Amino acid sequence: MFKLMLQKMWHKRWMTLSLLVGCVLLVATAISFPLYQKAAYDRMLQDEFHKNISEEGRFPTVLSMATIFKKDESGMLQQMETFMDSVYGQLGASKEQTVFYYILQKTPLYSDMNREDAGDIGVALSGITDFENHINIINGECFSETGKNEQGAIEVLVCEDCFIEEGLLLGETLTYEAVSDAQGNPIQIVIKGVFRLPEDDLFWQEGTDKIRHRAYMNINLFRQMFTGENTGNYTIDCRQYAFMDYQKIVFEDVKNIVAKTKYFYEESEYKNILEKPQYMDTMEQYLRKINRISATLLILQVPVMVMLCAFLLMISGQMYEMERNEISVIKSRGSYRSQIFRLYLYQGLVLSLTGGGLGTLLGVLFSKMLSSTRNFLEIEPTLSLEVVFTQKAVVYAVGAMLLTLLSITLPAIKHSRVSIVDVKRQKATMKKSLWKKLYLDVILIGISVYGYYSFHKNMINLSMNVLQGESLDPLLYISSSLFILGCGLLFLRIQPMLVLLIYKLGKRFWKSASYISFLENMRNAGKQQLIMLFLIMTVSLGIYHATVARTILSNAIENTQYLNGSEIVIKEAWPKNLLTDEYMEPDYTKYMTLPAANLCTKVLYDDAGYVSFKQSERQIVTVMGIHTKEFGMVTQIPAGLLEKPYYEYLNELAKAADGVIASSNFQTRYGYKVGDTIRFRNEEGAESYGRIVDFVDYWPGYTPKMSVTDPDGSIKEQDNFLLVAHYEVLKQDFGIYPYEVWIDLKEEYTEADFLQWVEENHMMVSKYANREANLRNTMEDPLLQGTNGILTLGFMVTILLCAIGYLIYWIMAIRERELMFGVLRACGFHKGELVHMLINEQIFCGVFSVLAGIGIGSLSSKLFVPILQQAYASENQVLPMKLITNAADMYRLYGVIAAVMLLALSILIMILFKMNVTKALKLGEE
Amino acid sequence: MNDILIKIEDISRVFPVPGGEFTALKNINATVQKGSFTILKGRSGSGKTTLMNIVGCLDYPTKGKIIIGDKDVSALSERERENLRRKKFGFVFQSVSLMPSLNAYQNVEFSLRLAGKKVDADTQKRVRECLKLVGLSNRMTHMPAELSGGEQQRVAIARAIAHRPDVIFADEPTAELDSAMAANVTQLFKAMAEKEGITVLMTTHDVGLMDAADSIIELENGERINV
Repeated sequence: MFKLMLQKMWHKRWMTLSLLVGCVLLVATAISFPLYQKAAYDRMLQDEFHKNISEEGRFPTVLSMATIFKKDESGMLQQMETFMDSVYGQLGASKEQTVFYYILQKTPLYSDMNREDAGDIGVALSGITDFENHINIINGECFSETGKNEQGAIEVLVCEDCFIEEGLLLGETLTYEAVSDAQGNPIQIVIKGVFRLPEDDLFWQEGTDKIRHRAYMNINLFRQMFTGENTGNYTIDCRQYAFMDYQKIVFEDVKNIVAKTKYFYEESEYKNILEKPQYMDTMEQYLRKINRISATLLILQVPVMVMLCAFLLMISGQMYEMERNEISVIKSRGSYRSQIFRLYLYQGLVLSLTGGGLGTLLGVLFSKMLSSTRNFLEIEPTLSLEVVFTQKAVVYAVGAMLLTLLSITLPAIKHSRVSIVDVKRQKATMKKSLWKKLYLDVILIGISVYGYYSFHKNMINLSMNVLQGESLDPLLYISSSLFILGCGLLFLRIQPMLVLLIYKLGKRFWKSASYISFLENMRNAGKQQLIMLFLIMTVSLGIYHATVARTILSNAIENTQYLNGSEIVIKEAWPKNLLTDEYMEPDYTKYMTLPAANLCTKVLYDDAGYVSFKQSERQIVTVMGIHTKEFGMVTQIPAGLLEKPYYEYLNELAKAADGVIASSNFQTRYGYKVGDTIRFRNEEGAESYGRIVDFVDYWPGYTPKMSVTDPDGSIKEQDNFLLVAHYEVLKQDFGIYPYEVWIDLKEEYTEADFLQWVEENHMMVSKYANREANLRNTMEDPLLQGTNGILTLGFMVTILLCAIGYLIYWIMAIRERELMFGVLRACGFHKGELVHMLINEQIFCGVFSVLAGIGIGSLSSKLFVPILQQAYASENQVLPMKLITNAADMYRLYGVIAAVMLLALSILIMILFKMNVTKALKLGEE
Repeated sequence: MNDILIKIEDISRVFPVPGGEFTALKNINATVQKGSFTILKGRSGSGKTTLMNIVGCLDYPTKGKIIIGDKDVSALSERERENLRRKKFGFVFQSVSLMPSLNAYQNVEFSLRLAGKKVDADTQKRVRECLKLVGLSNRMTHMPAELSGGEQQRVAIARAIAHRPDVIFADEPTAELDSAMAANVTQLFKAMAEKEGITVLMTTHDVGLMDAADSIIELENGERINV
């Protein structure tokens, strides 16, 4: 049996190879998704942690517990410590370290040196785990191992601020008179050293404001003296911090960490002393985000998977078709149905196992490709992520292999039933397809049009839902896919009528080659349906997906560029002169010599200015002060966004010394007109005024509408107001007031060059935005990148399938008709006429399908992309969405399709020319 | 009736086979009278189909000449041979050779189209006439798959004669038919030769059909055995 199977497979090696390609692609596509997910989500999680670190300056994954002890009779402290050490296991995270903070209640401290300021010293005695490894001693030394000096005073370290502000001296001994040790002697401390906090040390859980009121002693000594049996005498503020190693946390861990942590602070016996950790918000938000991404990406993958299964079904169906005669002969010789079925089952097993092996390898490559997609059909290997094989991927691989096995073997059930009589009988009859009888095409279009209208009506709600973290409604995407499928089927229904019409129109004029191809096409319409549908789906999904990908990414990029204003925006820290309460302007001249800059310009940007109205009503306004000419040179606005060209607005402002450009909501909300004078203040209340010269809907960096989350969690839109005036005017009215510097970089310079310059100049930066970096973040957003990757991959896979399917269909179609061609040649048909006939058939089948695909793809893009892109709108989407089709994508698509069809045609012509008339005629005699 | 239409002069055909050559025909000489019904007789493998293919311009001889009328057809270009086949020849094959996607009428009409005839009232009349001649007037709109083997072969004959060829080449047209049907088809060929003045060259190994022939060319192992 096995030998027979291998023989059979070798005999039809091209078909077998195609099936194998299908299996490999199916497995690879299926596992590439979880592999990519894993890599992208892990990166995303680390990004979140790093963002957290840079924003908060603290270790991102700390669980903390705090309580104040007066008595520790029940050994509570010990219990807490044990619990804290057990949380790592329960959370499923690795332990970085557990840190204890013990702080003795603050009591007056007196210097033994009888200093005048004695009694004012407010420092609390404290012990911290691993303290000595997180300080830089700048004076003196660390406490000794015993923690006491020879006189029995406790050795302590204080921070530099404390040392200076409290006026302490190194080696000075001080006494807490209200606190005594177990023997009843007052506690004495000696200043052993002064420390500074190392930069960027995430260890510290207390701010410098607290640290400067502490005297740190050896923690072991602290325990010995003040806890355990001795606790009764002291009030201890005790805090415990569990540091989880955030770098080892992967996306699979997050769910458990969130659930367990929630249990800890809401239900466990420690709920009263456990604080809700800061990482909960980060992680919960992260979970919402990845759920949304997963759902969206999964839906996008469905059409590709469906097409892969359809491909396998089609090819295996074709293969059985070829083998029908053999099967019926084997059966007529007494083979059991089950034997025949087993033959196909073994074949399916061999194919899906081989496919599983090769597909896994290819899947790794695919997922690397997914993570290095820059844009639709653009791959940049440097973006690639590390791929780790996960359990989930194994499950997907096995699932995909089962699917391939089913797709290959299912048709065998039907075919193992045939008898020799059926074969003969079926040749004589022509059946109408089931879908035609059921009007599936009309039904599908009906459903999708209904979907379209209901989504179209709810478009605003849709984007709100998305902002609240809901995933893309699967029905929406399915609607568009159904629409494409329905239209494709409808076209299949129409196509024979179309061919008939053309045939009828020129019935008298058709030369014999055209004549026969018309009749052949009309007669074989049923057989061609599947391959035509494949072609239509490939082209229309290709166009649709290209449009989706381009639109989403272009809009996101344009939006990022717009929001960033210029290439670099930097604001230095402006210290205030404490005496005059005036700002001190950092040196601006350094910008004039900044080698990396094409141009720098000062931009006063105050997003907390306001305009006052009569009834003490205030409207918060963003006030901008610009140098019109320079500003125009460092900023751009996408064409078509404003009513007039951007520079005209700048010119209008430039011409009026007291001019102001206002956001158009001043006009619609408050009824301002051009020429009106408007008074406004900056955040600190300084007033200025100007005459409105024009209104704008958009301005570089300006967000007209903002989504704000209410305390109850609902999201609503809020108007933002903008006033743009001359910088010089504002400077006069506001005095010295902080400004930003907007910079246009020279092409040969990178962000790194600029940052180096910032460092060299020892600048204190309070705001920094870089367009390139933001763009990169936008493009690496797993939702966008995953979408682009999956659509690109899906497109390539479908094209490949389409090419193979198309070739196989036509080669089979020729082989089947070899006798007919032989007869035609015998009757004097020229080879040229045969070619003509083939070209006609390719036009009726291929070109018609491609044209239909183009039409359907464009139509569905127009209808569904505007709704679909809502799912990708980020909370900071400002610019109106534009439907983007990239001509190059379309040419690529058409180019590939044309190449496939030409290849098919040339292979067919080659087969025809090789065909020997007398041999072909012999075929019929067997 | 005594004009010679086809002269077969010293025809040999050698096929290359793995490890050598196979001589299918050896120095065949024969003539076929215009308007005659000639049978090429021989067992299977005797070379009769090879000879028929060479005479019918489907194959080239390795040696020798075929003269039809006054033309050496073996020296014609491929295009000229194709034109000869579509205008002057008609073919009937052993197996069913109808276009599966054309009905009986369209199959017959197709040979008229091939011969370059305009599709008009005349051609329509001719198609009906031919189908009537083969006794299938009432099955014109049937598809080949809906006809029996004998009926299909008769449509093929109608197709072969529709464009009024000079010669009909029929290669074992009766092989797949029962003996009654075979006799029937053979009679049809004979009638054709007599009525339409078409020369018919038919191969067969069925000895029962020989009586109908005006002349017989008999082959054995690639050589002519009756002179």
